[in-house]
Amino acid sequence: MKVKGHFSRYAPKSSIDIGVFLCKCGGNISHTVDIRRLKSSIDAKVVKEFENLCSIKCQRNIRDVILEEELDRVVIVACSPITHEKTFRNHVAPLNPYLLEMANIREQCSWVHSDMDKATEKAISLTNAAIERVKYARPLDAIVRKTKKSAAVIGGGISGITAALSIAKQGIKVHIIEEKPTVGGNMIKIGKVFSPEKLAEECALCLFNPLINEAVQHKNINIITNAELKSSQRKTGNFSLLVERRPSFVKEDKCMACGNCAEVCPVDVPNEWNEKLMFRKAIYKPFPQSVPDVYTIDEENCIKCGKCQKVCTMKAIDLEMKGEIIPLNVGSVVIATGHKGFDLEKRPEYGYCRNEDVITQMELARIMGVNGPTNGKLLKPSDGKVPRRVVMVQCAGSRDEKPGGKRYCSRVCCMVALKHANFIRRYYPETEIIICYTDMRTPGMYENYFRHVQSKEIKLIRGRPGEIVKIDDTIVVRVEDTLKGEQVEIETDMVVLSEAMEPSKGTIKVAETLNVGLTEDLFVKEKHPKIRPVTTDVEGIYVCGTAQGPKDITDSVSQANAAASKVSEIMNGGLEIEPTIAVVDNYKCDICGECVKACKYKAIYMHDERISVDPIACTGCGICISKCKNKAVEVMGQTDSQIFAMIFGLLKDKKEGERRILAFVDYIGYVAADNIGINRISYPESVRIIRIPSINRLMPKHVLFAFENGADGIFLGEYPDDIMYPDIQAKVQEIRSELLRNSIDPDRLLYYKVYAPYFRGLANKLTEFDKQVSKALDKLEPVLYKASSKDL
Amino acid sequence: MNTLKIGENTFELAQIIIKDLKASENIGILKCIQCGMCTSLCPAARHTDYDPREIVKRVLDKDESLITDDIIWNCFYCYTCHSVCPVNNSACEVNQILRQKAIDNGKGKPKIAPFSAYGDSFLEYGLGAIPNDFFDHLLKDYGKEWLQLKVDLEDIREELGLGPILLPEKDVNDINKILEKTGFTKRLERVRRCKDEGNSR
Repeated sequence: MKVKGHFSRYAPKSSIDIGVFLCKCGGNISHTVDIRRLKSSIDAKVVKEFENLCSIKCQRNIRDVILEEELDRVVIVACSPITHEKTFRNHVAPLNPYLLEMANIREQCSWVHSDMDKATEKAISLTNAAIERVKYARPLDAIVRKTKKSAAVIGGGISGITAALSIAKQGIKVHIIEEKPTVGGNMIKIGKVFSPEKLAEECALCLFNPLINEAVQHKNINIITNAELKSSQRKTGNFSLLVERRPSFVKEDKCMACGNCAEVCPVDVPNEWNEKLMFRKAIYKPFPQSVPDVYTIDEENCIKCGKCQKVCTMKAIDLEMKGEIIPLNVGSVVIATGHKGFDLEKRPEYGYCRNEDVITQMELARIMGVNGPTNGKLLKPSDGKVPRRVVMVQCAGSRDEKPGGKRYCSRVCCMVALKHANFIRRYYPETEIIICYTDMRTPGMYENYFRHVQSKEIKLIRGRPGEIVKIDDTIVVRVEDTLKGEQVEIETDMVVLSEAMEPSKGTIKVAETLNVGLTEDLFVKEKHPKIRPVTTDVEGIYVCGTAQGPKDITDSVSQANAAASKVSEIMNGGLEIEPTIAVVDNYKCDICGECVKACKYKAIYMHDERISVDPIACTGCGICISKCKNKAVEVMGQTDSQIFAMIFGLLKDKKEGERRILAFVDYIGYVAADNIGINRISYPESVRIIRIPSINRLMPKHVLFAFENGADGIFLGEYPDDIMYPDIQAKVQEIRSELLRNSIDPDRLLYYKVYAPYFRGLANKLTEFDKQVSKALDKLEPVLYKASSKDL
Repeated sequence: MNTLKIGENTFELAQIIIKDLKASENIGILKCIQCGMCTSLCPAARHTDYDPREIVKRVLDKDESLITDDIIWNCFYCYTCHSVCPVNNSACEVNQILRQKAIDNGKGKPKIAPFSAYGDSFLEYGLGAIPNDFFDHLLKDYGKEWLQLKVDLEDIREELGLGPILLPEKDVNDINKILEKTGFTKRLERVRRCKDEGNSR
């Protein structure tokens, strides 16, 4: 096909002085590419060749030429930009680093082809493309993120307190927002924690309390209790939060926590901090070590009789107290909203609601807590006697695909059961322990603890009970001992269900308010479970602890510290970001919001009736451009003119009878293509590779332009395991239909999934596609001829 | 000792069962982790050697002797295993499919003759009813109170405003005609003959 159309309509106005620097790469290039012929074919103000362009010596040479010749743009014809783009961007100073373009004639030319003639021709066209493209380059500056040096941590449990302390110690102001009247979360309730190292149980409060006190006293930490996050707005990398604080009806600065008020309060309320195993008053302090150390009136249950007011010598009680809305402007948010226990009403077969002596592990923890309802004595709720036998039922609500169940393993229950079993065996040697388990999961060091507890004569039955019933005065647990293949009825007087962990209500609500994605199980979803475990899908918002998924204290603490260091990274790092991101022209934009909807990276958001782009979140993929009907978005460094220029440059010297295939690939595809070269595998010379941020950046017009200008086939390659993959599929479909509409054989277009290590697959696919295109051309030539003659 | 040979597809039997029309969609047979929850509540396991967990295990081990094993005839389809299984498997459905295989290969045929009693009571009353043949067994298990309930049932129903338990004769005749036309009656005959086939063997 002949080259149609003329490119002048895209050309820049004034003439631009371009310097081209060729690298022989010590023979790596010059042994396959005829440098002299290449040099003579180049149309530029200056063309220079060097033996090793990346050396320090050459850096000076390049700079001298730029200054002497007053160059406006530079093209480096050498190796892959993946290897040396950064180096050459430094070399072109004082020119703006983005006024540089590279032609990759090593990895993608001299290393993959052996025919010198054909390789040289390909090198010429790659160089031409770079020259055409660099004409449209614009000077860009790295974006410096300006983030307010403050953070909000939502939730004051072990994860929240740990994260807040670490952030505060790195010189950042932190607000802890806690919905309850006290910080401490679940950990403060559980009494004992297991220590696989000491093979013993340690006091949870003794471990946690010093951290809480440190947080209270830290100058950078502000604890807001009785408070909930009401709304959040993103503004140029910051978050404007509104926090609603419920009235506590007790003046914090006056209350001495003497407790006289609670003594006269006539209202009894089930004490949620003790798993409702006992009562508290309507004016109360959740537990003796509560922080802040003040009483609170629970508005829902208070009858406003005023008795407490009369006995309060400090005049601390104000029944007219109003709630307040606290605005916070922070640079980052950490979600540490934790979990709650599985609602066992959903498993009526275990009789949790019918039988007082069927309890949860958390209830057992409270019963055995020295500050709990029985002052630490193991007593049955029904009659206050020590149980003769305790049967523990694992996976209560976990690993359960029935409606309402949790499909996941809750991770801590095996250890929790062993911990309580060990504790009971030590202090109540007369009490037998039977654990009915599905699998004992005690990975790593926890296995030591398992063996240690086992040696304390704990009976383990491998089987999952189907039913717990009461026959006369005895509780019966029905289970199959699966190792024996025998149905067993275990008689007992107490059953402890190892309840699943599920996301707290606050976790779900906070995620909604912050527009952060959740998993199918309603935990906060991390950006990538392997390499970004504390980053959410909204940049600047992190997650730690059980809000992200079931985990123990050790893992929660590690994650909290990781989240804190991510916060510090954006605030203390003085982050510089590549400017190759989406930019919105607010004059053209009519705020239709289509781009906001399309961007799954949540990089585009609306505030104050403007569309803004978060430079950290934006990957420059370009999906927004396709969705914008007003053409108000551009991706810097990947403008339409740059793409058109590149296509034009790659095709402009195409000869009669020659075949040219343009391969548009993303970063991973480009790395895979380089790997083909590094491993000296070959593919047809017809293939010319163009790096794009994503197939989502391409539009049918680019592909049609390529075909119009003589491309014989278009190859699209992208790494598929990304959240934008469905959009890529849609895009490929859109391009394909556009080809059909223009009577272009869709066989001349191919989409291929690329993987960095699978470069051989890419090489084979490129070779195959070259043949497919050749066939399609033979087949379709007459049809195309007809179509074009009709146009005439 | 059993040797696991390389390349032997031990999932063959499970796959056949999964593809069977009788199997629920997404039956969790391959997800079974042998937790034994099914067996913990199985009334057949309580009184016999039947073990639904073991049935599933044998299927997953491609133990084809299961089809000719008398043990599969001990399940009485209460569906408790089906309703408690945490991975949505159904030992009960697996059992039904195995039985069909046993019937298809002839070995199961004598086992189905007693089921003809259900068909007989359907023909007789026009609705699903416990066959008269079982009366003595039930009386033995439930005792005289149950007998009294049977005697007083019509009165109790009347008191509760529920109307008679049996269908009018005309309706029973209509149902019989439908059963005749749809081939049910003939099929029932065939089931009944299975008993004799079994005896003649």
